[in-house]
Amino acid sequence: MIKNNFLKKTSVRWVVALKEEAEVILDNYKMVLVNEKTLYPIYKNVEETHWLTLSGIGRHNSAASTSYLYTISKASKWTSWINVGIAGSGKGDYGNIYLVDKIFNQNANTTYPATMPKSNLSKMTLLTTDIPITDYSSKELIDMEGSAFFDIASKLTTKEFICIMKIVSDGPSNDIKQLNKLKIIQLVKSNLSKISEVISYYEKLSENENQIRAKPYIFYKISSNWHFSVTQRTQLENLLRRLRVFCGNDDIMELIKQCENSSFVINALNNKIKGNKVNWSDV
Amino acid sequence: MIETIYIEKKIKNHPRTKFILKKFKKARVLEIDKYAEIFNKRNQNFRIQKANPDLILAHKNDGFVLPAPEGFGIGSSENFYFSHMYNCIYDCRYCFLQGMFSSANYVIFVNFEDFDTSIKNVINKNINSKITFFSGYDCDSLALENVTGFAKHILPLFQQYPEVDIEFRTKSIQREPFMSIEPMKNVIMAYSLMPDLMSSSLDNKVPSISKRIQVISDLALRGWKIGLRFDPLIHGEDWKSLYENLLEKVYNSIPLESIHSVSVGPLRFPKKMFKDILKLYPDEPLFTSPLASSKGVVSYDEKIEEEMSSFCKNLTLKYLDNSQIFRCYA
Repeated sequence: MIKNNFLKKTSVRWVVALKEEAEVILDNYKMVLVNEKTLYPIYKNVEETHWLTLSGIGRHNSAASTSYLYTISKASKWTSWINVGIAGSGKGDYGNIYLVDKIFNQNANTTYPATMPKSNLSKMTLLTTDIPITDYSSKELIDMEGSAFFDIASKLTTKEFICIMKIVSDGPSNDIKQLNKLKIIQLVKSNLSKISEVISYYEKLSENENQIRAKPYIFYKISSNWHFSVTQRTQLENLLRRLRVFCGNDDIMELIKQCENSSFVINALNNKIKGNKVNWSDV
Repeated sequence: MIETIYIEKKIKNHPRTKFILKKFKKARVLEIDKYAEIFNKRNQNFRIQKANPDLILAHKNDGFVLPAPEGFGIGSSENFYFSHMYNCIYDCRYCFLQGMFSSANYVIFVNFEDFDTSIKNVINKNINSKITFFSGYDCDSLALENVTGFAKHILPLFQQYPEVDIEFRTKSIQREPFMSIEPMKNVIMAYSLMPDLMSSSLDNKVPSISKRIQVISDLALRGWKIGLRFDPLIHGEDWKSLYENLLEKVYNSIPLESIHSVSVGPLRFPKKMFKDILKLYPDEPLFTSPLASSKGVVSYDEKIEEEMSSFCKNLTLKYLDNSQIFRCYA
């Protein structure tokens, strides 16, 4: 039970265009189809820490499926969002995986995704197009979804929680017509350890942020015992965040057990803070 | 280590851009149109960015010199500040920058010459007033000196105006260019200090207090004027003995005649800023202090502020004249 709670703090959402691109990932993270009647196919693992949607090809599909996955999976503000897939490239090496740190598309502003720090993976810029391009000259990476995924994911979380990875599948020396399902699966498979390494960073990131941002456990206990207004609930949460640094839950409950109403609770907690002298030698 | 440097297209060929780029040969360089595309946009997490900030080289278009906030001065009738950089390499938990900008990336404005022009204009407009300029309000003025060379650039300008003071406020132990040039009477090297015990908890990535005192002493012996900034004053167990030890150590380590001024300042946050910083660092012991909100400002209560300020002032009066001591409320 404890382990399960711990795992649930990790929160990762994948948006992948094709089933072939997703297969190895679904297998590795033990995700299975949630329900066959969803708008976009959605997969999740037992712990519900990893969810994946198959968006299909194109910007509209990518944007819509990202929003859809957000709603269906009840992603939090501190969920990590991952887009991984194949891409054409005029500069990258066939089969290599790259992190994306700049995105262009013909219709919108250039955007700058953050990338995982201290990664061994090289970074490249991505051009997202609405029609397939075979003129690879001077383009680092070319896909048909990345910009839309980033635009929507940026509305759901901060940019540090978004990651776009592309595996070079075609280019001047590798005709896109030669690409088939098996080859795509193989391309992802050969990069799985690198993908997993990146994902473990994003798992930890969301887990840490969930821990930092979560309401103190005792908040729920107190707010169920007394009636607090919306303003008071914010005050209570902030006071409890500060108090928990130097005061145990039992001590807090002891402090307020005689309080007749929520105002008395807030006052008692405020007074506890007012009386605190930080012992800097203990910090 | 800087992994990515964003450069505004407008200044990609600026000599200072090239100079700075040479310092970060392994960094990935990305061209941008405006620094605002990266900096201070919504949907950024300051705390996560602060762990691995990127560098942005930009051109500043306006607002080169601004009036200093009320209560920031050290005796002059007119006070101004300028910032060639936004954000700081240090990570002090009480710093207002963590609530002011949503991005922790560093921005360096490379068009120093436009700062020169604005500073000269301000001096000419206030020719009959005693003026002090403060360098580095939105950053630490010297912490990245070896990258920017801003102090080295701006000092000759102030050599032309010996009646105008400039303060470099810092927590760094940067000695150059000051050890290599003749001391200037209108330059104040101002150091923020607090008891070591508090500093080791709150001043993350900052040189220790004893290292700072050593540099202060070296610069004082070289002939530079020193400003001591006990700002913010931090409350806690044994604060009196902690501050007493610090002040005695400082006043016994530095030639007193080199001290230009001492300022003491309370810990204060605008209410909204405090809320944002508390969200970023909810487990920070500093925020378990008896801080309360009044009139839009979060601070220790007046009694604590007064007691701490008076205590430090009275100790300082054993060594310095009352006219050298200032209270900072900005």
